[in-house]
Amino acid sequence: MTTLTTVPPPVVRPVPWHRLAWVAWRQSRTTLAAILGVVALVVVYFAINGHTIHSAYADWQACTPRRSSACEFMSTNFHNEYGSTGLIGFVQVLLPGIVGAFAGAPILARELETGTFRYAWTQGVGRVRWAIALMVPGLVVSVAALAALGAVISWRYRPLAAAGITSRLDPSLFPSSNPAVIGWTLAAFALGVLAGLVWRRVLPAVATTIALWFGLAVLVSLTLRWHYVAPLTTTKLEVPSTGMQVSQWWTRGGTHVSDSQLNQVLQDAGVHGTISSGNAHAQPAPGSKVADPIQYLVHHGYTQWTSYQPNGRYWTFQWIEFGWLTAFALLALGLSILLVRRRDG
Amino acid sequence: MNVVETRDLTKRYGKVAALQDCSLAIPEGHLVAVVGPNGAGKSTLLNLVVGLAAPTAGEVSVLGGVPAGSAAALDAIAFVAQDMPLYRSLSAVDMIHLTRNLNRHFDTEYARRRIDDLGIAPKRRAGKLSGGQRAQLALTLALARHPRLLVLDEPTAALDPLARHDFMAAVMTAMAEDGISVLLSSHVLAELERVADYLVLISHGQVRLDGVVEDLIGRHLLLTGPSLQARDPDWRIIQDISTSAQSHLLVEIAESSTHGVAPGWEGRPVSLEQLAMAYLRETTSPQTSLAGVAR
Repeated sequence: MTTLTTVPPPVVRPVPWHRLAWVAWRQSRTTLAAILGVVALVVVYFAINGHTIHSAYADWQACTPRRSSACEFMSTNFHNEYGSTGLIGFVQVLLPGIVGAFAGAPILARELETGTFRYAWTQGVGRVRWAIALMVPGLVVSVAALAALGAVISWRYRPLAAAGITSRLDPSLFPSSNPAVIGWTLAAFALGVLAGLVWRRVLPAVATTIALWFGLAVLVSLTLRWHYVAPLTTTKLEVPSTGMQVSQWWTRGGTHVSDSQLNQVLQDAGVHGTISSGNAHAQPAPGSKVADPIQYLVHHGYTQWTSYQPNGRYWTFQWIEFGWLTAFALLALGLSILLVRRRDG
Repeated sequence: MNVVETRDLTKRYGKVAALQDCSLAIPEGHLVAVVGPNGAGKSTLLNLVVGLAAPTAGEVSVLGGVPAGSAAALDAIAFVAQDMPLYRSLSAVDMIHLTRNLNRHFDTEYARRRIDDLGIAPKRRAGKLSGGQRAQLALTLALARHPRLLVLDEPTAALDPLARHDFMAAVMTAMAEDGISVLLSSHVLAELERVADYLVLISHGQVRLDGVVEDLIGRHLLLTGPSLQARDPDWRIIQDISTSAQSHLLVEIAESSTHGVAPGWEGRPVSLEQLAMAYLRETTSPQTSLAGVAR
């Protein structure tokens, strides 16, 4: 077959980016205003709440003498009041995912859903430049908003960390602090763009993005994060509360002993309590003459091992998490642009 | 220069061939009607020309050899897709500004004047405009780019007769003023018969007939004669409706033919619609032509 007579395509100077900036701004301003509004509300809440925590902590710290019942009371009060993260922890972890999904998923999904991509992709600018331009405002605004929120969250938690209530490595705090929170926001945004392209509809794309992102967040918090660097191990029974325990197991004479073997030993000795995942799961019965199961095992030649991540690795872990999530997001965005280029209308 | 040139152009979606081995060479300056039944492959051809779709096989180039979909092609071709996709929440003024910023060249003044002339409220959301106004707005945005080729996919399908007339009038004016070429698809030939001067007839993903309308009309003839009358070997019979007494033929006369209509036959010129119908019948179901349903 002969080929068509083709001329070398004339070099066309592309449409300048500053023109596209207006387009991107005009197309995303409603979404971005909504996102900024929601995040601003949460920031204000955390700021007010944080202020309360900070002053309660300051009052407690100022209390003298430390051992007086009045000061003990303040300490108990502080721990009771701010001891559990509860719903707040959940919200602050989930927010980057929600914001990223709502900022990212509609960008291409809306165009594909309404058919306006047939307009956009046949303008002189070309679809790749168009897609890149459209992503920028959502990316910048959601990252900026979540970084600000992350700063407020870290500040709010400072007294809680100082009081030994929550480790800054805790899964409710670590991913919502800078810079990891930026990585999580970028990941949600990029997943959203990609899901929008695959689904071609806004709502399923947003839902899928949040679900996938949440799954990833759970996976990372449960296992992945604790292996960024090989955990430290110790045979001490007390691990510093500022660190995060990874796992526990037992040995005797250098060989591993399983939970079921330990439980058999405890049962034979008539010790109340069981071992599961290397840790004791029942306190000795009140008034029991037998020692608690851990003490019993330690006295009988067993060794409890604990692996943990020390508090000092916090920043290393933050940057590792930020780094790989950002790389993941860039890959997903790159793939999206490639798919936009290849996509058949 | 050919505004559209394709060679063995094929587009498959999954296993379904939407367009198969389509070879065209459409010269510039025409209003080209791409006509065929629904699902024939018209939109697919147009999407390939404007670069929304990529060929499965074969080649497509535009404006004298520029690859379809390239930056140079996008720059010089304006496309109005089926159902006039506009951002529903944007006003006419916003759409003008948007299109200006998405293109290297855009005649804002022209666009604004046309919106004014058409009586479209500049601040009204596109989603709230009437069908005719939406179509006119979409056309205005395309024309203000001063393209060399304007591609319109079923632009009049959703319009009432008056809006349809106005729309086509606007297209014709732009052709006369800017000298642009227009490629327009429709499943209704009747509305294009008076305006189109180039026909591309598609059915079942294949081009059945294409060429300058005048030439097509010139080399086809409607013939009536006695059934047993000898047929000229220079005739290629497109449609044959015969009874025991009489034959009604639609024939294509070979270019080499030098003599007039053979004795015993009476010849009449064919209309574009008759011609299109005959070609569609010839290829879709041969039985119908024998059934003798004359139009």
